[in-house]
Amino acid sequence: MAMIEVRDLWKAFGEKEVLRGVDLEVERGRTFVVLGASGSGKTVLLKHVIGLLQPDRGTVAVDGVEMSGLRGLALTEARRVFGMVFQGAALFDSMTVFDNVAFPLREKQRRLPFPELEERVVESLRVVDLGDDVLDLWPAQLSGGMRKRVALARALVAEPKVVLYDEPTTGLDPITSDSVDQMINRAKERRGVTSMVISHDIASAFRVADRLAVLYDGRIAAQGTPEEVRRSEDPYVQRFLALWFEKQ
Amino acid sequence: MRRVRAAFEDFGDLLLFAGESFAWALRPPLRPELLLLQMAAIGVGSTFIVAVTGLFAGMVLALQGNYAMRQFGAEGYVGGFVAISLVRELGPVFTGLMVTGRSGSAITTELGTMRVTEQIDAMESMAVNPIHYLVVPRVLAATLMMPVLAMVFSGTGYLGGYLIGTYVSFIPPGPFIDHTRRMLEVSDVLHGLLKAVVFGAVVSLIATHRGYSASGGARGVGEATTRAVVWSSVGILILDYVITFFAIG
Repeated sequence: MAMIEVRDLWKAFGEKEVLRGVDLEVERGRTFVVLGASGSGKTVLLKHVIGLLQPDRGTVAVDGVEMSGLRGLALTEARRVFGMVFQGAALFDSMTVFDNVAFPLREKQRRLPFPELEERVVESLRVVDLGDDVLDLWPAQLSGGMRKRVALARALVAEPKVVLYDEPTTGLDPITSDSVDQMINRAKERRGVTSMVISHDIASAFRVADRLAVLYDGRIAAQGTPEEVRRSEDPYVQRFLALWFEKQ
Repeated sequence: MRRVRAAFEDFGDLLLFAGESFAWALRPPLRPELLLLQMAAIGVGSTFIVAVTGLFAGMVLALQGNYAMRQFGAEGYVGGFVAISLVRELGPVFTGLMVTGRSGSAITTELGTMRVTEQIDAMESMAVNPIHYLVVPRVLAATLMMPVLAMVFSGTGYLGGYLIGTYVSFIPPGPFIDHTRRMLEVSDVLHGLLKAVVFGAVVSLIATHRGYSASGGARGVGEATTRAVVWSSVGILILDYVITFFAIG
């Protein structure tokens, strides 16, 4: 059974139809990338997967649990399998880096002894190439790239089964961007994490994707392995990818 | 017509939000550290401004009371008049308005900023309900601290009234205090405390609700804050009438 199953997902905001019948499946322990231009509805799709938005029509199931029908406590419980990296990092600006990264651990394992908590926070930051010196900094004191790395550390620290990435490499320099890609691959290889990545960074998408989909005009224009998508005959997909491959 | 409908929808939404907050308040885990933090921010942080406002309100009441009662030779009653006015009415109402301006606006801005920068979404994604984590401690703290602040207001107000009454208006201290003792009853204090509790809950629910449902970037947060302050202030004055009407009949 697939870890994430999206069936005939429709969503409109007022008159504007953002998603118009999206279907996709993400296999366990695999990385699925959704590519698309800005405003194509990628983030809206991701927010349906974690139940931050409710669909107008269609279903979203994660690990066999139907997310779209859940409310309140049941929805909160269902989210325990997730970690999520937001486009703008979404760090809690009233907390230090340490407290930000420790937050999901403290909430999931309320009796975790402090030394172990501290060790896991430090280890998680080390994975994203950040040292002890950032622990007491506030989010406002961090650069954009550092914020994103702290957000990655926070998403992975509680060892979730599913990690959702909203534009993880946007605004990062090529070296940091590459290390983020490596982290996504490492999380998959070492812990069997299922990842869903929303991106318009084609280079990054081809580095991390086991399967890939291109979202256009609220529908999936092409879906398959990176190679299959590359050979897609859909005119939009060809145009979307051609510009990038020409540059290479 | 559309505005009236929107206002009713807003009010309905606020009631649902209040119900949800109440339901989450009863669920574990309790977070006493967050509650204490908010009690310090809302309560301790507002003490000085509430005390100063109370002091001057009491001083004015003594001057006005003396001016009015002197005409009937009833200056001695000024102490009782000041105390009852403060405890039943001015204490809870002014404290409610001060907390609205100081803490209510801060709560809406903080939660609104968290909403538009996806911090609330991030919290939800980590299986933490934001109403449980952010709203419940703020509402509980305001509900618990408002009566305390109202008492501070009334206390410093009475002190101000006493100082002005006795040293400026030359009312003898004996009758000033005696009439206070005779006129002020426990029911007056309970009446004022009930109002303060209700105002604390209402102000914090409106402030958190506005912040929680803010949208549209910095401008949206600004609008949410303005609305929170306006509706809290109006709400306090309307509820003040309603409670007084039912208490006095």
